[in-house]
Amino acid sequence: MANHQLTSLIRMANQIAANNTHIGDETAEAEMIANHLTKFWARSMKQQIAEYLNQGGDELSPIARKAIGIMSR
Amino acid sequence: MLQYFNPKQQDFDKDYGTPASVSENLITLEIDGVSITVPEGTSVLRAAAEADINIPKLCASDNLEAFGSCRICAVEIEGRRGTPASCTTPAEAGMKVTTQNKRLGKLRRNIMELYISDHPLDCLTCPANGNCELQDVAGEVGLREVRYGFSGENHLQAEKDHSNPYFSFDPSKCIVCSRCVRACSEVQGTFALTIDGRGFDSKVSPGQNQDFLDSECVSCGACVQACPTSTLMEKSVIEIGQPEHSVVTTCAYCGVGCQFKAEMKGSEVIRMVPYKGGQANHGHSCVKGRFAFGYATHEDRITKPMIRDSIDQPWQEVSWDEALSFAASKLRGIQDKYGRESIGGITSSRCTNEETYLVQKLIRAAFGNNNTDTCARVCHSPTGYGLKTTLGESAGTQTFDSVMHADAIMVIGANPTDAHPVFGSLLKKRLRQGAKLIVADPRRIDLVKSPHVETNHHLTLRPGSNVAFINAMAHVIMDEGLEDQAFIAERCETEAFNAWRNFISEKRHSPENTESITGIPAAELRSAARIYANAKNAAIYYGLGVTEHSQGSSMVMGIANLALATGNIGREGVGVNPLRGQNNVQGSCDMGSFPHELPGYQHVSDDIVRARFESAWGVTLDNEPGLRIPNMFDAALDGTYKGMYCQGEDIAQSDPNTNHVQAALRSLECLVVQDIFLNETAKFAHVFLPGSSFLEKDGTFTNAERRINRVRKVMPPLAGLQDWEATQALSNALGYPMNYSHPSEIMDEIAQLAPTFSNVSYERLDQLGSIQWPCNELAPDGTPTMHEESFPIGKGHFAITEYVATEERSTRKYPLLLTTGRILSQYNVGAQTRRTENQIWHDDDVLELHPQDAEDRGINNGDWVGIASRAGETVMRAKLSGRMQPGVVYTTFHHPHSGANVVTTDNSDWATNCPEYKVTAVQAVKVTEPSDWQQRYREFNQKQLGYLDKARLNQESVVTGK
Ligand code: SF4
Ligand code: SF4
Ligand code: SF4
Ligand code: FES
Repeated sequence: MANHQLTSLIRMANQIAANNTHIGDETAEAEMIANHLTKFWARSMKQQIAEYLNQGGDELSPIARKAIGIMSR
Repeated sequence: MLQYFNPKQQDFDKDYGTPASVSENLITLEIDGVSITVPEGTSVLRAAAEADINIPKLCASDNLEAFGSCRICAVEIEGRRGTPASCTTPAEAGMKVTTQNKRLGKLRRNIMELYISDHPLDCLTCPANGNCELQDVAGEVGLREVRYGFSGENHLQAEKDHSNPYFSFDPSKCIVCSRCVRACSEVQGTFALTIDGRGFDSKVSPGQNQDFLDSECVSCGACVQACPTSTLMEKSVIEIGQPEHSVVTTCAYCGVGCQFKAEMKGSEVIRMVPYKGGQANHGHSCVKGRFAFGYATHEDRITKPMIRDSIDQPWQEVSWDEALSFAASKLRGIQDKYGRESIGGITSSRCTNEETYLVQKLIRAAFGNNNTDTCARVCHSPTGYGLKTTLGESAGTQTFDSVMHADAIMVIGANPTDAHPVFGSLLKKRLRQGAKLIVADPRRIDLVKSPHVETNHHLTLRPGSNVAFINAMAHVIMDEGLEDQAFIAERCETEAFNAWRNFISEKRHSPENTESITGIPAAELRSAARIYANAKNAAIYYGLGVTEHSQGSSMVMGIANLALATGNIGREGVGVNPLRGQNNVQGSCDMGSFPHELPGYQHVSDDIVRARFESAWGVTLDNEPGLRIPNMFDAALDGTYKGMYCQGEDIAQSDPNTNHVQAALRSLECLVVQDIFLNETAKFAHVFLPGSSFLEKDGTFTNAERRINRVRKVMPPLAGLQDWEATQALSNALGYPMNYSHPSEIMDEIAQLAPTFSNVSYERLDQLGSIQWPCNELAPDGTPTMHEESFPIGKGHFAITEYVATEERSTRKYPLLLTTGRILSQYNVGAQTRRTENQIWHDDDVLELHPQDAEDRGINNGDWVGIASRAGETVMRAKLSGRMQPGVVYTTFHHPHSGANVVTTDNSDWATNCPEYKVTAVQAVKVTEPSDWQQRYREFNQKQLGYLDKARLNQESVVTGK
């Protein structure tokens, strides 16, 4: 079954990550991205992406994975 | 001694003859024995008028520079010879002026006699009868006879020009006062009119002796308003007669927020006259606001609520009660079955603040979730994000008038003469006074070539390269040491600045290194950066060409960085100015339409904030953000989002990737649409609640300068309820009580809950005319210029804005880049303007492309071209245009059947999901028939219109008992 939402969420997470990876400190970057997700994403979106990460999160960029990890702490 | 002059007490219905002087030096003179004090530079005519001594005048008007051609305003001044024209004579200290005596009376009668000898005497049947300055002056000077007779050579047979759909030109009535010519040049800045010939032969003429319609005229109507006779006259007045009362209200089209006097006969609007007291427009307007109001009474207006169980069924007209309880039980049923978060709503950027506030309140309080969003998502959400991050407030920093103090003006991705015409006119005025202009736009917008305006640089950047461009600008400023160190040290966060300086100084951002990305020659970019940085006051104006990109938010922050780095924030003439699209985009954002923010930009996760709202609203609020529009669509397709309340938005036409949006809408179990027409979205709806136009309600709109303007009801709502009343009734049907009796009570609640609104009330609005928020204890009369002393976040924050190329790039298959935009005569999805005579200027969307691209594809002007992207395909007519750069094509989305958004993709801004309307990789080929999508659209549209006709027919048979 096509999962429209998850496809979009993965893309969005990677895009947010790509736009915030230029401070030079990976942890700070991941924190910033996690903060963005916490602040702007709906509960159901956060749940889905966290679940996806738990299942491996293959299509997420490394920094996005790190950020989602922080977010779902 | 009697003393006059108090600019605050200006009577906006009176014509003072010449513009007010802004000088702070006051001088005192004596006119007809009365002592009068005025600012230096005031004309004698105006000084007298301020003391209510009204010297006759014909060629003078207080929105135009004095011209001195008619001489009817002649006066005597002690110690001077002759009878100087009072409109061109500046008042001087100690002057003694006589405005009425025998000699002057005779002189004026003689002048009048000459005018009238060449003027038809059909006053009784003239459309200006009752409102003609020539008649008035003839009366004032006591003209009793015309000795010359009418047998000599005259202009009485001159041919009329009815080509403009809204006004007629009858040269036989013309007195050649040239007020129209001056209005067109000084006020509008179009220079479409000239006085042709000399002496007796002189006459007013548009363009090269063309019809109005064929000339450069943009139909703003300034000339019609300026004309003292019936030469230039609204057709509505010619047909119906002079209005008998008027109400001041606010235009419902664009974010300029012009105020108008709606001039009425009973409950019918005869004409809209821009209000001189309007603080955004000062008596000017564009074709949309002045003329295109006929949609409000168009026969397509739906005035009865309708319901149906499925979108494959005809509509059924029902009572309000029945429609509302049908909607309420469907929505509650969905929540019972699929959970609290399975429904949501969309507020409107066209409705009033009060209406928007109520819709988001209904969603948060009655639906019990934060699934609220607004169409600002698809236009200026990056502005909110970017400006809040850098400057601390989600809004532009200036007034429109501030542009008159700017020395360098940079316009990025905006087309003010088409999309914000009245601001465009003001901007052009400043440019004619010599301010420098930099335009950054892939397309040659009209501003670049406007009369008497020199564009210092038109940077034709490639679509999608904005951030590389703005970074290069900042790089030059730091590289060449052009930054404002004092401002940075005093007003900005040091740590963030240092990080940013290190980032931006990297050589990879230099114009030389980014030239291959932006397409802007490095030397030209450097020169533009110097102009911006070296100007005493430099201002940036930007539009959707900045926001509607995958890096929209980064670009907004990049713009703010530039302004901070050069200290161009916090005073008149500078700033960061988003030009907002729709009339109330600013307001809809302010009113808490976004899923993560309560009214006044207060985050839903803030416990203290939420507690205040919870106690005022008597419910518990969700502390997590809700879904944004694109997320709603995705969730709908996944089956977790099933019901929606959509007020005054047409997401089926305005949102990108139409196929995707329509599939999502089809999957809803209950879509409630509230609108004045059966728009594209309503064709997917189960409940239709008939909306009210801006003429039918009370409320407020907030324009792009944060200015809250009053909207006043001039006629009863056609469907019986104002939009806020319908929302309130729906809320009550859902079991969440709302009991407002007037929108002013809603504003009082907003003032109580949003700290930036705490001193706003209808009473204050009536007193002050309008208020720019923040308006609270610290700024009781509002805040024209933001960030004068500090930022809401304390210090300005430099944000790192790395350029990340969009995934949407031209390929072999899709070698062209499509960008979208607007034109002057149409507005947004066109639902309103398409139902007016404005159609005459733009009855279809076309694909503009560079002649070279056309030639490569064998496409000629007017050919059908298929435009395909990875999202979809549509067909439009081609228009070859040198405005475009090769490789870039352009269209508008004012007509649903043209399907511009079938082609746009679901790419969006990383921070806000604002769609990337401005960049879509496409191919264009010559075709012979409409696309599949268009054929499907036609069938679907026919079917849905049939369902509407059925509802109306059934209703008639019920009424007639058949
Ligand atoms: S309508 Fe406006 S643009 Fe046209 S001639 Fe009159 S002032 Fe000029
Ligand atoms: S058209 Fe009207 S405004 Fe223009 S010159 Fe003639 S009388 Fe004056
Ligand atoms: S559309 Fe905009 S510029 Fe035109 S009259 Fe309305 S508010 Fe003013
Ligand atoms: S009004 Fe002064 S010369 Fe015409």
